[in-house]
Amino acid sequence: MRKLLIFAMALICLVDLSSCGTAFAPPPITTALAHTGSGQHPDLVMLREGRALFVSRCIECHTLPPFWHYRSEDWPQIVDTMAERAKLKRAERDAIVAYILTVRTQ
Amino acid sequence: MKKFALSILLLSILPTFSTVGGVRRFTFLYEANTSAPGSLELENWVTWQRATGPGRFDQVDFRHELEYGVTDKFQVSVYLADWLYEAHPEHSGFVYSDSAIELIYNLTNPVVDPVGLSIYGELRAGDRLIELESKMIAQKNFGPLILAYNATLESVWKGHDLAEREGELSQALGASYEFSPRISAGLELLHELVFPEWRDNGHIRNFFVGPNVSYRTRNWFVTVTALAQATDTEGEPDFQLRTIFGVGL
Repeated sequence: MRKLLIFAMALICLVDLSSCGTAFAPPPITTALAHTGSGQHPDLVMLREGRALFVSRCIECHTLPPFWHYRSEDWPQIVDTMAERAKLKRAERDAIVAYILTVRTQ
Repeated sequence: MKKFALSILLLSILPTFSTVGGVRRFTFLYEANTSAPGSLELENWVTWQRATGPGRFDQVDFRHELEYGVTDKFQVSVYLADWLYEAHPEHSGFVYSDSAIELIYNLTNPVVDPVGLSIYGELRAGDRLIELESKMIAQKNFGPLILAYNATLESVWKGHDLAEREGELSQALGASYEFSPRISAGLELLHELVFPEWRDNGHIRNFFVGPNVSYRTRNWFVTVTALAQATDTEGEPDFQLRTIFGVGL
C-alpha cells in the first residue's frame, strides 16, 4: 500500500510538472495570432513550420529564451548567427524569424 | 599513483583545448532531441574509473564517435573505436574493446509535448564481445531547466565462443540548469542492476551520483560529470569522471 501511495504521488507530481512545462512552450499558431502579430500576414503554414523548427533545432544547443529577451530588430541577426550551426536553409531561417516576430509583436 | 592520476586528468582536459557539436548537457544520460538533418559531429569520450580497496584498479575508457543527423527525427552514430587503458596491481596496458553503431529515433518533443521521448538501439561488436543495448529516453524542458530520464536494457555475450552472458538493467536521472546560453550545470544519478548469466544471485546493485557541468561555444562543447558510488559494490568503481568533447564538422 505504501509503495502504491509513493508511486501515485510520483505520478501526480509528474503530471503536474508536465502541465507546468506547457507554460514554457512557445505559443501555437492560430489564425488570430498570424493576422494580429506582425501585421505582415505571413501564411499559417510558414508560421507553423517556423514554430516546429524553433522548438526542435534551437534546443540542440541551448534552451529557448523568452521572446521578450531580445528586441524585434535584433532577432533576425541572432537567428542568422546560429543558422549554419543548426543547418537551417534560407526558407527555414525565414520561417523561424517570421514566427518569432509574430509572437514578439503580440 | 599520483602521477597516473595527474596524467589522466591532463588527458581528460587537454582535448578540450584542441577540438571544437549537438550539445550534450549530460554524459551518463542521453537527451531526447536528435541532430539536425545533414549535421555531422565528432565526439570524443574519456571516462576515468577508480576503485579502491582489495580489488583496486584504475581504468580509462576512450570513445571516438561520429554522429550524423539523417532526418529531423532520426540520427545514426558510429563508434569508430572504444579502447581503454587499465592499471591493475598485477597488470596494466592498452586494450581495444569494440566498435558500435547507434540509432536514435525521436517520437515527441520535450518543449511542446508533455514529455519528449526517443527510442535508442545500439549494436556493439569487439574481440569476443557482442552487446545489444536498447534505451527509452525521456526529457522535459522547463524553460532553462532540463530534466532527463533513461531506462536501459543491455545484453552482453563475451569470452570464448561468446559463452559468458550478462544482463544489465539501468536507469539514470539528470537535471541541468542553463545559467547562460554557454553554461549549464546540474546533477546525474545512475542506478544499475547487474545480472551475471542473467541471474540475480549476486544481487549486484550500484548507485552513482554526482554533478555535471557543460560549456559550449558556436561549434564545440565540453561536458564533464563526476560520479561517486553511493553503494559499496566490490569490483565497481568508487569514482568516475567522464568528459565528452564534441565538434561540429
